[in-house]
Amino acid sequence: MSEDRIEREIEIAAPIGRVWEVLTEPAYVGTWFGVGVPNDIDLRPEGIMVLDHGIYGKYLTRFVTVSPPHLLSYRWAAAYPDVVADDSNSTLVEFTLTATATGTALRVVESGFASVTIPAGREERAGIESHTDGWVRVLDRIADLVAGKVVPPLPTST
Amino acid sequence: MTTVEDVFGALADPTRLKLLDLIAQHGTATATMLADELPISRQGIVQHLTVLADVGLVAGRRSGRERRFQVRAEALDDAAAWMADRALRWDVRLATIKELAERQ
Repeated sequence: MSEDRIEREIEIAAPIGRVWEVLTEPAYVGTWFGVGVPNDIDLRPEGIMVLDHGIYGKYLTRFVTVSPPHLLSYRWAAAYPDVVADDSNSTLVEFTLTATATGTALRVVESGFASVTIPAGREERAGIESHTDGWVRVLDRIADLVAGKVVPPLPTST
Repeated sequence: MTTVEDVFGALADPTRLKLLDLIAQHGTATATMLADELPISRQGIVQHLTVLADVGLVAGRRSGRERRFQVRAEALDDAAAWMADRALRWDVRLATIKELAERQ
């Protein structure tokens, strides 16, 4: 638990270009990441992709990297329907495609959960990114401590 | 109503993480005890404890003149369950992508 990222991978018996199509073409995206209708996709960095999630609302994801056929990433503000995803309200979803002997390895990483609710403009002493490691590590410790396991004390630093 | 996002938000602060860790280490702790261990005023500690208590990460009980705080595992479990659920949703999406790509 307590990872600040989700990482998943799947092997697909199809060429890399075909997998890229499924990841980026409206009819496909509407099927695997929507309610079955083609969605609006402005496929370029900073372009907006509208994800229609029916009763949950429309999500305005924003592309970060569009590098066919290997890398596609966008910010997704899953807690904020109808709001354009920015760095403070969203997680980063990154797809990496790698050609293999039998087809394509597709990996997805969703990261940045710990920083989602930090209000924009709030002054932190350091960027939240630099705390992510600490967040993961300390949360694991706390879970162990709460479970009654013996863990060594944290080094005291400020 | 506390959401898991609120819990993550409360955790996204190094001081509060350290407080949680100290409380978990001691079992229970008061703001005065915690102020002895950190370079922050007791008042600052109380503010951070309030944030942690609001999202259910700690619970306070009055004990004499002070409140004693304890870590609540439930909020941590909720955060873990939420992450697991989110991972499962990606598994489902990837399986659909695979099916679409392999269907010609």
